[in-house]
Amino acid sequence: MTKDDPLKKTYLDICCRCVERAVRLGAEWCDASAGAARDISVAVEKTGIKTADAGQGEDAAIRVFVRGGMGYASVSGSARRDIDRAVERAVALAGEATPDPDFRALPPPQPAPEVEGLYDDRIAGMGVEDVVRIAAANIQAARAMEPDVNLSGHVGLAVGEGALASSTGVAVAARGTEIDADLEALLKRGQDKGYFYDFDFGRNLADTAPEKVAESAILGARRFLGARRIHSGRMTLILGPLAAYGFIGGLVGAANAESIQRGRSYLCGKLGEIIASEHLTVVDDGLVPRGMRSGAHDGEGTRRRPLTIIERGRLVSLLHNSYTAGKAGAESTGHGTHSGGIAATNLRPALGARPAAELVREVKEGIYLESGEIRPDPASGDISASIDFGFYVKDGCIQFPVESAMLGANILELLPRLDAVSSDAREEPGILMPTLRFQDVQIAGTE
Amino acid sequence: MEDLARYICEKAKRRGAAFADVRILHRRSESIMVQDGRADKLAAYSDRGIGVRVLVGRCWGFASADSLRKRRAERCLSDALALARASEAFVSDPAMVAQARGIEAEDRREPEVPPAAMPVKEKMSRLLEYERAGRAAGGKAIVNSIVSYSDGEREEVLANTAGALVRTAVTRAVVTCLMVATDGKILQRGTEHRGIAGGAELLRRTGAEEFSVRAARKALGLLAARPAPAGRFTVIFHPSITGLLVHEALGHNSEADAVWAGQSILEGRLGEALAAECVSIYDDSTLPGEFGSYAYDSEGTPSRRRPIIEKGRLAGFLHSLETAARMGAEPTGSARAESYDCRPIPRMSNTFMAPGAVPFAEMVRGVERGIYLMDGHWGYVFVQKGQFICHAGQARMIENGQLGEPLRDVSVSSMTLDTLRKIDAVGDDFEMKMPGMCGKEGQSAPTDTGGPHVRVADVVVGGQHGG
Repeated sequence: MTKDDPLKKTYLDICCRCVERAVRLGAEWCDASAGAARDISVAVEKTGIKTADAGQGEDAAIRVFVRGGMGYASVSGSARRDIDRAVERAVALAGEATPDPDFRALPPPQPAPEVEGLYDDRIAGMGVEDVVRIAAANIQAARAMEPDVNLSGHVGLAVGEGALASSTGVAVAARGTEIDADLEALLKRGQDKGYFYDFDFGRNLADTAPEKVAESAILGARRFLGARRIHSGRMTLILGPLAAYGFIGGLVGAANAESIQRGRSYLCGKLGEIIASEHLTVVDDGLVPRGMRSGAHDGEGTRRRPLTIIERGRLVSLLHNSYTAGKAGAESTGHGTHSGGIAATNLRPALGARPAAELVREVKEGIYLESGEIRPDPASGDISASIDFGFYVKDGCIQFPVESAMLGANILELLPRLDAVSSDAREEPGILMPTLRFQDVQIAGTE
Repeated sequence: MEDLARYICEKAKRRGAAFADVRILHRRSESIMVQDGRADKLAAYSDRGIGVRVLVGRCWGFASADSLRKRRAERCLSDALALARASEAFVSDPAMVAQARGIEAEDRREPEVPPAAMPVKEKMSRLLEYERAGRAAGGKAIVNSIVSYSDGEREEVLANTAGALVRTAVTRAVVTCLMVATDGKILQRGTEHRGIAGGAELLRRTGAEEFSVRAARKALGLLAARPAPAGRFTVIFHPSITGLLVHEALGHNSEADAVWAGQSILEGRLGEALAAECVSIYDDSTLPGEFGSYAYDSEGTPSRRRPIIEKGRLAGFLHSLETAARMGAEPTGSARAESYDCRPIPRMSNTFMAPGAVPFAEMVRGVERGIYLMDGHWGYVFVQKGQFICHAGQARMIENGQLGEPLRDVSVSSMTLDTLRKIDAVGDDFEMKMPGMCGKEGQSAPTDTGGPHVRVADVVVGGQHGG
């Protein structure tokens, strides 16, 4: 924020001014957000630094409802004239929109204590030299481990603050920091290639070791040298922490109340039903101190709370924003975004009784998927996925990395075949990533 | 804006930059979403700002701001210089840039119907008509329908220290349709997308029959389809899947930054025969009105047609000023930046396989047992491994040279170079109707892709039961 505009005392003031103006212009309900962010990013290419980038910006967005029809406008910067135009446009669009009788109300003010540890003065105080130093530490470590490694990716940080105000009296402000490193290692041995990646992120510097990411990426790349083809067949599928996290994230995404109310999710009609084996319990918790997706309120000002979505295999809750909650006659679960969407926060599956290594030892024949997209069709639940980073498992031992293989299933048939969740997990700030094991999955190979 | 851009370039030179460019960009767009009979979500977006990129010594620095005030632009320059200098000690591969021509040019692509020339109510009415037609075709089986439209203008001024000053303005419009059907047991969806480098004329050109009605019929058809078998099959790709193949499997590998960085499987293979001789693949940003078209890239290089594969041989890469200098090639006008706060990087535009000579029916006749994949949905690639995946919303079994039972939701995955070599027939038809936003390094760029039907021997299919 520049000092030359006395109207920009705080972002909350900007939001309140937008709301007042929108109401004067005819908004029946409205909320406004405004904020600023700055970021630094250092790109790594061919095991050296390629470029360093920095950006800073402000933005504002207003959402207006007239007879339930929504008009939304966003604008970059903080020039009063631009923001005023955005407010006018949002009101005009809401007036043009078809009335929506399912709209009930925006949330009332819901005071809540701030979540601890989302802003770190140490990250906020870091400059480009500090980010370069982290990137350089990774480069040096990579060269020491594998002189011929091709390391690429980026190291970066972001510092932001923002506010939200609404015509119902919501007036909240928050700030946050984030640091992240995301690096890929490529090893070549003649025609053979080993490739993998790793990452680290956090809201606090103390929760991360961003200078160590190259080391774990290289260890992963070494494991993927010597990939081989496998035969087709039905076998056990083990999802390692990264693959499992993506899988659970997709499943929770399908429990979005908007998709279900509209009748387009494979979880339609499943609320209260058993959808998975008893081993699966998933909690969404946006209040975890220092969590990546934590915050006291959602994008509409609803207070967040921990929410059990799947309990011992039963779908017990959907993710709601104020619109879907109003339509269902329920309370918002605090998963609304300011643009009207629904998003999960920190996902924390319940852990099982035995460590991942033991789950692998029990496998007669299977695939261990370290990482990969298992993306069910959002309507049918059909999965037809590539085994991007997987290993062949035989008689309890990981044998070799797999090339050109796929898996197919329907998620509603796959979930009951979950026979174990590991007792150990990869943990990132707010997020738990255990290992999952499924029995009897169709694998397509090329041997 | 031009004065500010030139001023910062001059100042960059005086402060020691070997090269600098300044982009000032303003984007405005509006969108309408119709769902279940109501156009109840309307939105407008606007952003504006400046990006300053400098090459100092051995390294690049880039800084951006959302203000066009002179003082903020000067601070961007200072930040970019400081960022480059702070990084220089750790550069393994000194940065360089091709000699840019100091051209002055202006290209304003005026759409037939500028976004503001068609009232919002008229756009809403057209979308509601699409939806009604789709629902009427699908009957009671349709449980959810969404028709979305957006149009937007992008104005960009680019200046660099070689003297270039390029002003461009382009409008793009997209309309998409989703129809979800159920038979009471399963849900299936049908989608259609249309996009142009143009304005609201898209809504006048697009008829419901080939758009929303087609989406509804797809969803209905899939209710009767069964899951695909798993294993190795000869496959025939519909043009939409051919498009995914050329975009994902080959196109990303031909982006010269990946080649230079040693990440692409095409590194060091220029001129080699990598595909069957019947295969020629191009990227062309000059095609009038196509979604991925533009006149100048984000570095001010004129647009052109770029051969990637010609008669099976690797013919070229997609270059920026930087990669052209590094690899001793000519810039190809492929450097694109999503917005003012993004660096230009090599990207595709409209990427397609040229048609061949084989009629579709003949292609099918030659298959004893295989799968015909249609309705390309999505794909992705690991350029480092040369492995790609393409997902088809619909498919048909092929048995004894004839199209057989319908299949649903199936992906194929393979190694790019293996697949290009195994193409044994290229169709005499052509379709490019896959407008979309391609993602790379956190930036998205409007692209289109397509081609003819092609037949590929021996591809792994991710089905749900033994083949």
